Amino acid sequence: MTTAQSTAQSFFSRRFGRFLDRRIPPSAQITLSQRNVFIFPTQTGFVFGGLLVLLILGAINYQASLVYGVAFLLGSMFLMTILYTFRNLSGLKLELINTRPGFVGEDIEFTLRVVRPTGRGREGVQLGWPDGIKQWAELYEQEADSVRLYVVGAERGFLNPGRLLIETYFPLGLLRAWTWVDLDARALVYPKPIFQDFPLMEQGRRDEGELMDPQGSDDFTDIRDYQPGDPIKHIIWRSYARTDELMVKRYASFVEPRLWLDMDSVQGALEERLSRLTGLALQATRREREFGLRLGELELKPAVGEAHLENVLRQLALYGITTR
Amino acid sequence: MESPPDSKALGVAYQIPRNSLALLMIAQVVVVVPYALQLSPWIIGVGLFCGYWRTAVFQGRWDYPHRWVKAMLVGASVVGVAVSGVGAFSLESAASLLILAFALKLIEMKSRRDAYLVIFLGYFAIATQFLFDQSIAIAAYELLAICVVTSAMVGLNQLHTRVRPGVSFRLASTLVLQALPFTIVLFLFFPRIAPLWTVPLPSVAKTGISDVVKPGAIAALTQSDELAFRVVFNGRIPVPRDLYWRGLVYSDFDAGTWSVAAELPPMSKERMPEPTSGGISYEVLLEPTMSDWLFAMDTAFAQSPQVSLSQDYRLRSTDPVLSVFRYPVNSYPGFVMDPVLSRRLLTRETRIDRSDNPRIVAFARDLYARSGNAEEFAVGVLKHIREQPFGYTLNPPQLQDEGSVDQFWFDTRAGFCTHYASAFVYMMRAVDVPARMVGGYQGGEINPITNHLMVRQYDAHAWAEIWVPEKGWLRVDPTAAVAPERIESGLTAALSVADLATLSAFTNARLGDWSVFNDMLYWVDSMEHRWNLWVIGYDTHFQSGFLKRMLGELTPVRMGLVILIGGGLSVGLVSLTLFWRRRPQKRHPVERLFGKFAAKLAGYGIRREPQESPGVFIRRVAAEAGLKEDQVGRIVAEIDGLLYNPTVPSESVELSQLRRRLRWLQFRLAFGSAR
Repeated sequence: MTTAQSTAQSFFSRRFGRFLDRRIPPSAQITLSQRNVFIFPTQTGFVFGGLLVLLILGAINYQASLVYGVAFLLGSMFLMTILYTFRNLSGLKLELINTRPGFVGEDIEFTLRVVRPTGRGREGVQLGWPDGIKQWAELYEQEADSVRLYVVGAERGFLNPGRLLIETYFPLGLLRAWTWVDLDARALVYPKPIFQDFPLMEQGRRDEGELMDPQGSDDFTDIRDYQPGDPIKHIIWRSYARTDELMVKRYASFVEPRLWLDMDSVQGALEERLSRLTGLALQATRREREFGLRLGELELKPAVGEAHLENVLRQLALYGITTR
Repeated sequence: MESPPDSKALGVAYQIPRNSLALLMIAQVVVVVPYALQLSPWIIGVGLFCGYWRTAVFQGRWDYPHRWVKAMLVGASVVGVAVSGVGAFSLESAASLLILAFALKLIEMKSRRDAYLVIFLGYFAIATQFLFDQSIAIAAYELLAICVVTSAMVGLNQLHTRVRPGVSFRLASTLVLQALPFTIVLFLFFPRIAPLWTVPLPSVAKTGISDVVKPGAIAALTQSDELAFRVVFNGRIPVPRDLYWRGLVYSDFDAGTWSVAAELPPMSKERMPEPTSGGISYEVLLEPTMSDWLFAMDTAFAQSPQVSLSQDYRLRSTDPVLSVFRYPVNSYPGFVMDPVLSRRLLTRETRIDRSDNPRIVAFARDLYARSGNAEEFAVGVLKHIREQPFGYTLNPPQLQDEGSVDQFWFDTRAGFCTHYASAFVYMMRAVDVPARMVGGYQGGEINPITNHLMVRQYDAHAWAEIWVPEKGWLRVDPTAAVAPERIESGLTAALSVADLATLSAFTNARLGDWSVFNDMLYWVDSMEHRWNLWVIGYDTHFQSGFLKRMLGELTPVRMGLVILIGGGLSVGLVSLTLFWRRRPQKRHPVERLFGKFAAKLAGYGIRREPQESPGVFIRRVAAEAGLKEDQVGRIVAEIDGLLYNPTVPSESVELSQLRRRLRWLQFRLAFGSAR
């Protein structure tokens, strides 16, 4: 393709994009009508037209009235299918009801709900994002259908799959009615995780570790004043006899202190670092380890659990990306 | 924003749904079967076998054909068509190839694209069938076939997990039905034009008449009861003995064979003006003959541009007659054909080889010498036929090529029309009287239902014409001398019992007196006749006539406008059925009645408060007007009783009673308030 061609093409596609934005503005819910449904013959439709021309030529040369009849019947049928094809989309209500985030390289799931008006059923309604596989919506017997569509997450951040294509070739495949709607769909794409050896000894500061299981440990740490609740067998009776003060010996082991996931603690370029942190966060959650996250000035307090993980992944996904 | 990419980039399911596949296989059988009448049986066999193969693939029993198997099948089919005997460029060979392509494509069909190709070939095959036969029965059958093929196409676009073939078929039939109104509009108003180029013709001539006649060769004349043409007379139908439908003129005789002479340029309409009076006016609807002969009574003039008059006064069509051809004719029985004969025709119409049949030449010279002139000589010959033991039979003995006329005239003395006409013309020419044999039809049967004349193939006839100075060409029918019944009352009257036995049972039934059967046949014939008048015979000429009557002057703008309006109306009609939503439930009839009553009262200034129920309102206004409780209590009870009964029909005794009471109350209130 020459440059001029591609320039022209991109010019027209930009023009078309702007036209669509004006004609069908982004909206979370949209109802299809003659305002936003386009209709045009398919390739098959044009071949069908060619067939009609052949039939009419045959009818002229053979002066056969019924060959004219067949040509006219088929032509008239073609005309009537315009109504069928258009009606098949008209009145459909589309709504994005759910998205499920995923990692880069994975299929990101969007769940859409298609509702038809009561009355006659719709057939062969297909939906799809430009980069995904099309799905059929079953709207003949039921009045509403949920359709799950998947798009591969190419990069971290918000994935906007673009305008959604809704099309139908019903009833004869000679015409295509379609529209591109912008449901303002966004789904979060987390960095692709890179897994590495999970750090056994961590670089966290010692004093921030949590004292665990004081009773079961036998590493002596220090001595301090007795406080109610201290085990009696830890009281240093010799010292009490001498000073009349109740002192207790403290035994403890710092169970691995809280884990901090930090940009500086991993190697590589920015994206690689984010990927490694993602991997660590996943590993930590699987081991039910508490961890915190530090990204520049952002700091998430250490915690454990799915909700925390989601929060962490969200920050990793959006790091350095200005959100709308 | 970036534009959405082309939808082709998105994955499109390309497999053929099972539902559609099943319908395609049914469609294949439906489309191929009627071709059994036109094509060789092996082609139908291949078609059905391919259907069976595809079904087996569908059921998982067989596999798709291997590539070389396919190549072999295609090769064998083409060779088969080439050697099957139909002309290489005939319509039959084209149709054979079409059916084979349709069948072979079916077995290798895998993708949607293939399915569409098979469907389009199916439509094409359906239309091609009409080049062979356009009868009502075939038309009805092919309409069904279109529904089946269309349902396969519908099936391709339905969710295949759900839909069964019956569902697709129902939708396709609805679609075809909805397409009919606009089809009719297009059929009537879409401009019909003359053929653009010549096309391959069916190789089988349908007519019982040919341009070569060899009286001795045919052992038995085929007596088909197939229709040749129908005639609609504008006035009274002439008596049978005047119904000579002239079609072919045989001027050349050689070795026992009569043939149509070399073509002369047609007569110009300026040189041969149509007489102004004494004409018989009628219209002929000729069944397809695949040739350009037209049949009409003497002397025929046709004003249609598609009909020309030849120098031997035959009507000719400018194109071969491939489907029912209508032509209006005026015939002038008193017209003199060729009062003066050109030298060229004089030689042509007297040329015979006298050495072939020396006995009859001698006989003719002898009789002519005794007669004196041509007319008396002709009468003498007819007298001879009448008086000598000549016989009329459909199964005459065969004759040799050399001396066939002698053989017939002196030895066998039995034959049908061509034997007599041939011998008669030969004798005329033997004494240099210009004469020629004429072929066509004689007689016909009247269909009492639509009052038209039916002329069948068994009405085929041959007679003679002799030329007499100033009187022109005179018709002489030697057959009338041997079998006058043939001319007066048709074929059967002239036939012996033995001859009748050779006719088919159907023909005998038709010719017999079984009235119920005949009535039914008349009815079928009149249906076909109307079909020919309005559908098949609706051609360029009749379209312009019809449209001129409908629209006045014909301009492209008017035609376009009519088609547009027709299209708009048809589309509107269909969209009504598609988009019409049931209106909300009708109001309760009592509510409607009370609504009208309240509106009337509002006109007198008596207003109903929004919160007032009908009963409360009536009680209030009645009290204000000074009416007594017992006068309105009944009305209120009735209203309340009916209002809360959900099954009140819109017309009932109670309702009309209530209507009367409300009208009374309205009058009282209006009267009261006026006072």
